[in-house]
Amino acid sequence: MRVLLAVPALNESAVIGTVLETLAATHPLSDVVVIDDGSQDDTAAIARAAGANVVSHAINLGVGAAMGTAFKFAAHRGYDAVIQFDGDGQHRPEHIAELVAALDTADIVIGSRFADGGTFKSSAARRGVQRFIAKVVSVYARTKLTDATSGFRIAGPRALQVFAQHYPVEWLGDTVESIVLATRQGLVVREIPVGMNERAGGTPSQSVLRATLYTGRILFILGLASIRSVPPQLRRRRAEPAEVTA
Amino acid sequence: MTPQILAIIMAAVLLVAVILLLRSYVLPEKYAVIWIAASVVAIVLSAWPGLLDAIARFFGIASSMNLLFVGGFFVMLLLLMQVTLELARTRDELRRVVQRLALDLEETTSDDDD
Repeated sequence: MRVLLAVPALNESAVIGTVLETLAATHPLSDVVVIDDGSQDDTAAIARAAGANVVSHAINLGVGAAMGTAFKFAAHRGYDAVIQFDGDGQHRPEHIAELVAALDTADIVIGSRFADGGTFKSSAARRGVQRFIAKVVSVYARTKLTDATSGFRIAGPRALQVFAQHYPVEWLGDTVESIVLATRQGLVVREIPVGMNERAGGTPSQSVLRATLYTGRILFILGLASIRSVPPQLRRRRAEPAEVTA
Repeated sequence: MTPQILAIIMAAVLLVAVILLLRSYVLPEKYAVIWIAASVVAIVLSAWPGLLDAIARFFGIASSMNLLFVGGFFVMLLLLMQVTLELARTRDELRRVVQRLALDLEETTSDDDD
């Protein structure tokens, strides 16, 4: 199975070199694509020098659009699966093999910070919010998910075909809406526990107000996803069920 | 048919239109919130005219119609401002993308010449 590792990166010149260096030990950099989402610094140059493929957006489009580009890149180059791996050093390369192995029983595998075995320290408020969102998303995905907003995930061959045509681009929509979208297309989503590092740069939103806005936004996206029909790009697939089950 | 029912129907049509546009992925989520809010406010105000009177009294405006016009006009101005800013941003992005494309094309063409 040819697995592409996609690293969405925005102004990560401080850490991207180290991240790719650690990555190189477990995954060949020729199968890594850094999606430079309109960085103002030399993220792209550093990644290219390290030996990774680099695709640069001329303007900043957000993580969702960056992953959309990565899925199109993967489909174009004939890859079978895509792993999303953040460029800020949060994700650990040693879990890549576990994600790939878990594809045997699923189309999308999410690396969960909160499942058994996951060791991620965060504030009580943030944990509570994440747990609540995960509960709601679990209902949509018809499986138990504990960390729906995790960006550490793999999409298998069937999911890749769907996401190469349509991937949610709205802020925060990429993580949760993609799960709903995939479930709607009959794909199987599951999770495995992973450990994560502290974010190398920037502090995650901690205040109660921001947590509330964040939750509200995600619930709005989920509500929207439940009334939304199939995206125009995917409608033809629905008409040919044989193609979906194949 | 009373004018009130007509007003409620018009507001409801707006809400349904917004939801249908959202459903078909025509209206992006980013702009959906403001349109859903606008149609809900329109429905509430038309279904409950007493609310408008109460707000007018609170602000000391004699006629609630005046409040509706002033308030509506102000909201329209804000919306227009947002659309203008959005358009300016989009034009700026378009310029940057075209410039980048032009530079990249020039690079590949000169490579071919070598």
